[in-house]
Amino acid sequence: MIRLRAVFEKKDRAKYISHLDLNRCMLRTFRRSGLPIWYTEGFHSHPYFSFALALSLGYESSCEILDFNLNEEIPFDEIRDRLNAVMPYGMKIISVGEQVQKITAIAKAEYNFSIKSEDITGLVTDIENLLNGKEILVEKKTKKGIQTVDIKPYIEVVTCEVSGADTYNMTVRLPAGTQKNYNPSLIFTALKDFTEIPFEVTDIKRTGILCADNRSFV
Amino acid sequence: MLREKIEKYLLDVQKPSRYIGGEVGSIIKDKSEIDVRFAFCFPDTYDIGMSHLGMKILYSLTNERKNYWCERCFAPSEDFEKIMRENDIPLYALESLDPIKDFDFIGFTMQYELSYTNVLNMLDLAGIPIYSRDRTEELTQIVVAGGPCVCNPEPLADFFDLFILGEGEEVNLELMDLYNKMKKQGASRKDFLREACKIQGIYVPEFYKFSYKPDGTIEKVETTDNAPALVKKRIIKEFDKVYYPENFVVPFTEIVHDRVSVEVLRGCLRGCRFCQAGFIYRPFREKKADTIVNQTRCLCENTGYDEVSLASLSTSDHSEITPILSELIEYTADEKITLSLPSLRVDNFSEELLEKIKRVRKSGLTFAPEAGTQRLRDAINKNVTEEEIMNTCRIAFEGGYTAVKLYFMMGLPTETDDDIKGIAELSQRIIDLYYSLQNKPKGKGVQISISCATFVPKPFTPFEFEGQDTREMIEHKQKLLLDSVNRKRVKVSYHDANVSILEVILAKGDRRLCDVIYTAWKKGCKFDSWSEYFRFDKWVEAFGECGVDMSFYANRKIPYDEILPWEHLDYYVSKEFFIRENKKAHGFETTPHCRLRCTGCGVNRETGGKCFD
Repeated sequence: MIRLRAVFEKKDRAKYISHLDLNRCMLRTFRRSGLPIWYTEGFHSHPYFSFALALSLGYESSCEILDFNLNEEIPFDEIRDRLNAVMPYGMKIISVGEQVQKITAIAKAEYNFSIKSEDITGLVTDIENLLNGKEILVEKKTKKGIQTVDIKPYIEVVTCEVSGADTYNMTVRLPAGTQKNYNPSLIFTALKDFTEIPFEVTDIKRTGILCADNRSFV
Repeated sequence: MLREKIEKYLLDVQKPSRYIGGEVGSIIKDKSEIDVRFAFCFPDTYDIGMSHLGMKILYSLTNERKNYWCERCFAPSEDFEKIMRENDIPLYALESLDPIKDFDFIGFTMQYELSYTNVLNMLDLAGIPIYSRDRTEELTQIVVAGGPCVCNPEPLADFFDLFILGEGEEVNLELMDLYNKMKKQGASRKDFLREACKIQGIYVPEFYKFSYKPDGTIEKVETTDNAPALVKKRIIKEFDKVYYPENFVVPFTEIVHDRVSVEVLRGCLRGCRFCQAGFIYRPFREKKADTIVNQTRCLCENTGYDEVSLASLSTSDHSEITPILSELIEYTADEKITLSLPSLRVDNFSEELLEKIKRVRKSGLTFAPEAGTQRLRDAINKNVTEEEIMNTCRIAFEGGYTAVKLYFMMGLPTETDDDIKGIAELSQRIIDLYYSLQNKPKGKGVQISISCATFVPKPFTPFEFEGQDTREMIEHKQKLLLDSVNRKRVKVSYHDANVSILEVILAKGDRRLCDVIYTAWKKGCKFDSWSEYFRFDKWVEAFGECGVDMSFYANRKIPYDEILPWEHLDYYVSKEFFIRENKKAHGFETTPHCRLRCTGCGVNRETGGKCFD
C-alpha cells in the first residue's frame, strides 16, 4: 500500500458539490482513472479516502487536501494527470505527493472573500470597529451543543482593501484542524449582528491550509 | 445572464448541485454550431428523473449528432420553484443554463400518470403557453412527449403539439431532421406538424376530432390535414444493434437509481393480463450476452460507478441468463462492483441462479405472486403455481434468507373476498414452510412483507375493458386483508386508494380530461405521486367544476364494441387479442408465454414473421 496526498482545487460549478457527495465523487473519479485503488481488507471492502478539512457548500478552494492509498507505485505526475483527465468540471488536482506531515499539523486555514454593500464606507468602519473591539462573541454549534465563544483572538486579518464602489475584499486566517475549527461564516454572522448596514458576502474561497507557524501544510 | 441569477439563490435551497449541471458525462456544445436544440424534460425532480434509463439513451443518442444538442431539465423542488417564481428565473436546461422556452423541442417523457400536473407546472415555469393552441405560429418551441403513458395521450392532447409513440431511438432523430430541414425553408409550426404526422410513430392530436354520443361514449374520430387514421408505434427491429450509450451523466447528489444500468431485453413474453408494459413494449427482443457484458464494462469504466443493475421487464427470461450472470459476476467481483438483479420471477428461479445472486447480496428476496389464489392467478395469467412459490421460498430459506417480500394486487377482475383471504393463507403457508424446514437459518424467525397495490386497469391490456373497484370496495378489501393475516410475522402495506382512483382516470381518460388536469393544476396540484403533495380534494373539485364524472372513467365496465379513446393508436397488439384474453380471464383460463406458443397478439404484423426462432 502506497500512502499519498493530493492537493486539489474546487471551483466554479463544483463548489455546489457537498462534502458528503465529494467522497462518492472522488471514488468515481479514481475508478474512471483506472488507477490501482487500495481497498480495505475485510467483509465490507472499501477504498480509503480522507479529506483533511471539510469545505462548506458554496465555498471555492484552491488548496483542498485528500489522502488516499494506491496499490502500486506510480509517478506523482502521472497520477495527477490521469485523475485530471476524468475529473468533474471545476475540480483539478494541483499536485500529488507523499504524506509528509500528519494531518494534525494543520492549525489554520486562510479565506478570501468579498463583502458587498451600497454603503461600503460605512460598512468598512463597522467592520474595523467590530474587529478592533474587546471581544467578538458568536454562537457556535459544537458536539456539546450551542456554545458562545469569543472568536476575536483567533481572527488574523492578512489583507483588506476596498475595491470598486461597493466591495471590500478581505483575506483572513482562522483556526482549522482537529482541535479548533472556525468557519468564516462566524465573522459574517457577527457582522450582521453588529451593523445595521445591509451587505452580502460573495466569492468565498479557501486559499491556504497552514501549520501553526504559518507555513503551508503541503 | 441567467446563471448569475441562479447562483445568487442556489445556496438557499436543498441539494443545489441538482440545479447547476456540470456533472461528469454531461455534454456541453458550442451554441453557434447547433441547428436544433432539444430540452429533454422529466416531469419530476432531478433525483427521480436522473434515474430514468430512457433519458440516458436518448440524451446520448441525440448528442452524437454534432449539430443537435440535447439538454436535461427537471421539475424543481418546492423551495427552488418558489425562488424561481419570485425572481423571474424561467425553467432552464442544465447544460447551457439557457431558458427552455428558446429551444426548438421541449420533450417530456411520460412515465406515470401522476406526473401530468408537473408537465403543466414546468411549461408555466418555462414561460411556454400551456395549451398548444396558444403557442406561436412560428416553427419553434415544439412541445412533444413520449414514454409509456402516451399510449393513451388523450388526457394530455391539448397541451402537446405531438406525441411520439413507441421506441424513440430512430424516430426522434427523424423528427429533428425534418424540423431542421423545414426550419431552414422558413416553414410554419402548422406546416411542420402536417409533415411530421407522416412519420411513422408521430401523432399530432390537433388533427384528430372526437365526437361523443349522448351517453358520453365516443361516437367517432375524424382526421384532418391528411393525418393517418391509425398511428402506428415505432419498434426497433435489430435490438442487439440498437444504440446504447457508452457513458452516463454521473450526478453529484445521490439519485434513486444511482448506478449503471444495462438493458438486457425489451418487451416481455409473459402476457400477464394486468400489465401494460408487457403489451406495449412487445415484441420480446434480447441483446446478445456479449453485447450485455461489453456494455456493462464500458459503462462501468467510463462512469466510475461501482454498482450495476440489469434492466428489463423480466431479466430471468433472457435465454442466456446463466452465462450472462457468470461473466458479470466474475467481472464485478474482480472490479469490486456490486451487481443487482431486479425482476426475478418465481417460476424460473433455480438453485443455480440463487447460488449466483447469493454471492453478490444477501438481503431479502422479493417475489410478485400478484394474487392470493390459483384461480385468480390464472385469471390474470400470472402463470405461477403455489408449488413454484413454495419451492422458491424453500430454496431461499435453505439458502439463508429469512425475509421474503411479496407483491400482490387487490381489486383484480373476478376477485372475491376469498381471494383476499387467500393472500393471508398463502403467507401463513410460507411461514409454516419456514418452520418445517430442518435446515432453516438457526435462531431466526421469518418475516414476510406484503405490499398490496390497488389494481389499475390500463389501456392496451386485456383488462382495458374493466372498471376499477370503487373506493368502498377497495377499503373493504384492505381491512379484510389486515384482519386476516398473522400480524406477528406478516407486515402489510398498501397504497392510498385515492391515488389509484386518480391513476385509472388519467390512464383511461379522453380529451375531456385536459381541462380537468388544467383546473387541478390551477388549484395547486403538482407532484401528485408524492404523498405529501397529493391533494385528492382539489382533484375532486376540479372534476366537479369541469362537469366530468369520475366514475365514468374509473368504474364503468366498457363493452367490447365501444370505441376506446386510444383506438386510433396502433401498438400492434390487436383489440381482438385483448378481447380474446379478456374472455379467457373471466373463464380463469391461462395463456402460455410466447416462447411456448405464439398467442397471435398481432405484433409480428410489424416485425414480420416469428418473434422466436
